[in-house]
Amino acid sequence: MKASRAFAVTKRVLRDLKNDRRQLALIFIAPLLVISIFGVAFTGNVKDVRVVVVNGDTAVGNSSISDKIISNFDTSVLNVAYANSESDALSQVQNGSASAVIVFPSNFTQSVVARASGQTSVAKENATITLLADKSNPNVSDPIIATVNTAVAQTIQGLGRQAPVSVDASNAIYGANAQFIDFFAPGILCIAVWQLTTLLTLISFVGERTSGTLSRLLASPLKESELVAGYAVAFGIIGTTQSAVLLTAAVILFHVTIVGDVLLAFGVIALLAVVSEGLGILLSSFARREAQAIQFLPIVVLPAFLLSGVFWPIQAIPTWLRPISYLIPVTYAVEAVRSVILRGWGLDKIYPDVVALLIFASVFLVLATLLLRKRE
Amino acid sequence: MKDDVCVRNLEKDFGGFKAINNLSLRVKHGEIYGLLGPNGAGKTTAIKILCGLLRPSSGEAYVLGTKVPDPGMASSVGYMPQELALYRNLTVHENLAFYGEVFGLSKREIETREQALLKLVDLEASKDLLIDQLSGGMQHRISLACTLLHQPRLLFLDEPTVGVDPDLRASFWRYFEGLRDAGITMLITTHYMDEARHCDRIGFMRDGRLIAEGSPRELLELTHTDSLEDAFLAYSGTEGVQ
Repeated sequence: MKASRAFAVTKRVLRDLKNDRRQLALIFIAPLLVISIFGVAFTGNVKDVRVVVVNGDTAVGNSSISDKIISNFDTSVLNVAYANSESDALSQVQNGSASAVIVFPSNFTQSVVARASGQTSVAKENATITLLADKSNPNVSDPIIATVNTAVAQTIQGLGRQAPVSVDASNAIYGANAQFIDFFAPGILCIAVWQLTTLLTLISFVGERTSGTLSRLLASPLKESELVAGYAVAFGIIGTTQSAVLLTAAVILFHVTIVGDVLLAFGVIALLAVVSEGLGILLSSFARREAQAIQFLPIVVLPAFLLSGVFWPIQAIPTWLRPISYLIPVTYAVEAVRSVILRGWGLDKIYPDVVALLIFASVFLVLATLLLRKRE
Repeated sequence: MKDDVCVRNLEKDFGGFKAINNLSLRVKHGEIYGLLGPNGAGKTTAIKILCGLLRPSSGEAYVLGTKVPDPGMASSVGYMPQELALYRNLTVHENLAFYGEVFGLSKREIETREQALLKLVDLEASKDLLIDQLSGGMQHRISLACTLLHQPRLLFLDEPTVGVDPDLRASFWRYFEGLRDAGITMLITTHYMDEARHCDRIGFMRDGRLIAEGSPRELLELTHTDSLEDAFLAYSGTEGVQ
């Protein structure tokens, strides 16, 4: 293998990109758009959910525990409206204008006080808040339930009664002020590099095959390994540049927290770019035309999107599906980059992911090299 | 003297389809050998085997004395594929420079040869244009320039004149004759029978084998015809009877 010939290929790929504005836009603007859309629209926090309270509690004023609980509702999450009857409130959920009904029974305050002082004769139901939520979307109903629970706990504490058990989760080991975008940004970097590198190598290699340039190269002193290596270096550079631009945008626009070594993160991303490049060349052996190559796209993109932990953690994926997650290179890259950026982990801790990526890279590159000539 | 190309009993089987069927031919040093035949006769397959892109199923082929495929002979051989084989998003210069680097030429060598070649194909002014901005004929001339850049001794030209207008075709044959006079051997495939009169020797190919071989004049005399097309049909007809 001669470095100068491989380098000639690298230069050729980069020049090709420089001369093609459409491709440049695809590499930089498309992922910026995606990260912006998700960053703006999808903060991960549910806000301004309309709930209807039916407060039948006869106690009023300062002594009313129901009023205290309602005043402790986090108003950024819940937008509280009132109704006089349960059926009235329910109809608001049924016509879609509200997401939950919260009912306080008539002698709520009285019953709570009585039960708190040990009068077990008072029916439990009379001290129970009924929460009827539209649970068809757990992303909305879960925060409602959590908010009501928090308000109840706060109120009881405010009454001077300590709950026997308490959990203090205010101190974080990692990610003290992490927002959803912090979790999401490393994933989008990886998925952008994965998707675009695979797509671009696939298309440019199908191009090399159909335009005859590959024939010319295979009849030249250039070796297959030099061609693949030249492409790998070029796409390593492109992938790293792309993620640097994306990360900068994420920091400026969404104040994404970076606690770790950015260069290490870029190293992982460059490695992912090499893996993707190998896969792209490999897949190009199975496509005769560009149109056929495009058909591979869903196979490359969708599993990575859904199963590699970009949007939700691997732990949220059913156990029987997880082996598939671990067959997708992006999974390891996302895990490693996230650990570096959010937890500040070093190579000593992320090396299993790096080793996995190295294995993928070697397998793909070797296969790609072998299949390149397809000498019948 | 040893022949530049020597093919003996070559066969190439594509999963049951015999693209090359017991082909034997020799190309002498310094001649233009034209491989003629209809589409699907096996001309491109033969050239791909000689360039090391395909492995023969049986038989053997020697190029410049070396049995193919052999990676070592690449730098003495020039291959112009049927397709243009140019990078459309690169300029003329960037294409030439890339192929030059692949063949291990120095920057200075690339520059002087580029200048000479662009002068030869009359495209000095287009050096910094993208391939996409050139006309089809200009692209063909650049493709030829890329093939000649590393100064090969032996050229394999696969249908170099397909899709080329008559004017340019005439100048292509002038280039080829000039190259031959400079001592370069050429194996050219074509299915334009009339232009094969420029060749020193011709092989008629059909169904993967050679059905006749000789100089254009010999072939015309032997078949008592006035055109190579008729000559081909005459041989092709006898094949059918056998």
